[in-house]
Amino acid sequence: MTQTRLLIIDDDPDYVDGIKSILEKADYVVDAAYNPKDGFEALETGNYDLLLLDIMMGRGAEGVMVARKINKDPVLREMPVLIITGVREQIAFLFPGQAVHPGILPTDELLEKPVNPDLLIEKVEALLKEAKEKKAK
Amino acid sequence: MAAKPTFSQEISNLLYASQGSPLKNCIQCGTCSGTCPVVNYMDQTPRRLIGMINANLKEDVLDCNTYWFCASCYHCTVRCPAKIDIAEAMYAVKRYSIWHKTYSEDLVGPTFSETFVKTIINNGRSFEPVLAPTYMFSMGIKEVLQEAYMGTQMMLKGRMPVLPTKIKRLDNFKKVIRRIIPMGGEK
Repeated sequence: MTQTRLLIIDDDPDYVDGIKSILEKADYVVDAAYNPKDGFEALETGNYDLLLLDIMMGRGAEGVMVARKINKDPVLREMPVLIITGVREQIAFLFPGQAVHPGILPTDELLEKPVNPDLLIEKVEALLKEAKEKKAK
Repeated sequence: MAAKPTFSQEISNLLYASQGSPLKNCIQCGTCSGTCPVVNYMDQTPRRLIGMINANLKEDVLDCNTYWFCASCYHCTVRCPAKIDIAEAMYAVKRYSIWHKTYSEDLVGPTFSETFVKTIINNGRSFEPVLAPTYMFSMGIKEVLQEAYMGTQMMLKGRMPVLPTKIKRLDNFKKVIRRIIPMGGEK
């Protein structure tokens, strides 16, 4: 069986190193892209099973733009996306207790930074399983 | 896959992810520093800051106050012979510092930006009496009294509203904001 391939798009190299090592320990093949442009190029060529996407990149919420691009692509939009974001800390728009509602993709889940490693693995597994079931149908 | 980015690449990612690193085009002519109206208050001139970013001196760049003193007058951007958007580069370093929380606690800039954005989101426009306290207490007692006197005079003359005013059709404005950034509230 071929290994499951994941892609991380996040502009914080230290953070990428962190989640990469967590996921690699759980036997996934993990690639990383450090800006939205490289990330989208990798997505188009790489054939990944799951994407881990950051929101606050570049000049602002460029992760949202990546998500919109994915949504427009008929193949890519089937791919599960786990949004991992520190958006609550990084921008002043959110008030304490207010929910983050990206709701930008049909297949997304949201985790807030800092991420608990067990929860991360759990969410990734759940998303992959869901996508497989969908495919089987 | 892509190698781990250096500090200067991180900054260029924050700047123009799509256009490479414009800071690399810097010829160190010093026009930006000569043009800058607040250069006297900075520990490093804008020219030196760009040089430091290109040299990956992360700690030195984040420790200096240059980017927080930038008044965003865009005079450097207009005059730069290498066509670098220097004011935008200052914003990129500010973003880096806010997102990574590397600024010192007593700094006015981040709190000021936060309060400013919050009043804009809530009312559609800025409201000075809420904004002023974010920086006022870092000043001396004389300056605070001066500010308060000035504020009262402006209110009496009707130059500044006593209560926050809202724009018309605020809901539409909030919908626009939600399209751009995933903020709280309904989808």
